[in-house]
Amino acid sequence: MRSIGLALGLLAVVPAFAGTPNGILEGYRAAGAATVSAPRGEQLFTSRHGSDWSCSSCHTGNPLARGRHATTGKDIAPLAPAANAERFTDPARVEKWFRRNCNDVLGRACSVQEKADVLAYLMSLR
Amino acid sequence: MSKPKILVWDIAVRAFHWLLALSFLGAFLTAESERMRDVHVALGYTMLGLVAFRLVWGLVGTRYARFTSFAFGPKRVAAYIKSLLALRPQHYLGHNPAGSWAIYALLALSVLAGATGYAIYNDVGGHWLEELHEGVANTLLAVVIVHIAGVLVSSLIHRENLVRSMLTGYKTGDPGDAHPAGRG
Repeated sequence: MRSIGLALGLLAVVPAFAGTPNGILEGYRAAGAATVSAPRGEQLFTSRHGSDWSCSSCHTGNPLARGRHATTGKDIAPLAPAANAERFTDPARVEKWFRRNCNDVLGRACSVQEKADVLAYLMSLR
Repeated sequence: MSKPKILVWDIAVRAFHWLLALSFLGAFLTAESERMRDVHVALGYTMLGLVAFRLVWGLVGTRYARFTSFAFGPKRVAAYIKSLLALRPQHYLGHNPAGSWAIYALLALSVLAGATGYAIYNDVGGHWLEELHEGVANTLLAVVIVHIAGVLVSSLIHRENLVRSMLTGYKTGDPGDAHPAGRG
């Protein structure tokens, strides 16, 4: 509910600004992620959380590079905004893929804080 | 005196029906999972194969499997729904007009879901194609729900178990009482 509210809020209040990685990160800050940490995001991104997958299983340990799907072997475009300008420009799409992929890796939805940290990590990559 | 049980749905129609239903259910449930992505894709291919078979069977299959036995225009559909609402439903041994439209919609949407899914999996088209694929799948689910509701309503009003008929193939009826559109 929180993420739906957030997505709707972003779409309604700051449509132009929301369409950038910074805008989406600001949205997470406004939704409660007060202190955002890129190192914490990297930790979340690369650790397996007790299962067999981490985010980097598909997106690799270097999100500036192309990824490879862990079950199908399909090519995945780079995730870091510096390598792929399309990433994190559509709040609804961002929420959709966080919802799906957090469920694949963590077996649950990610919190606003976790999404903010992962996004900060990806934005820190150059 | 009771009417005899006659075979209406041949084994191919029944197997197709339940395999398509299970494939769609499985594909819908695995849609959001990357772990199950290959299962999802395999079920999509299965749906395409099943529909391809059904289209051929609709031309060369047994009596009630043929499209000619359930090619109904809008007037016939309206008349059937009206008769349902008046609780005096017209009886069809094969597919009734409303059911036939659900079937055409389900076949068309299955092909569209499979085709857009195939394109996405092979990296043809952009995000809009993903949105289309999801929209088609949700519409397909909506038609399935209407189809199931229609089956339940028709079963109650006609006092015949249509779900069991789709499992066993048999219905109660005199073959000579079949609707004229069912002959062919």
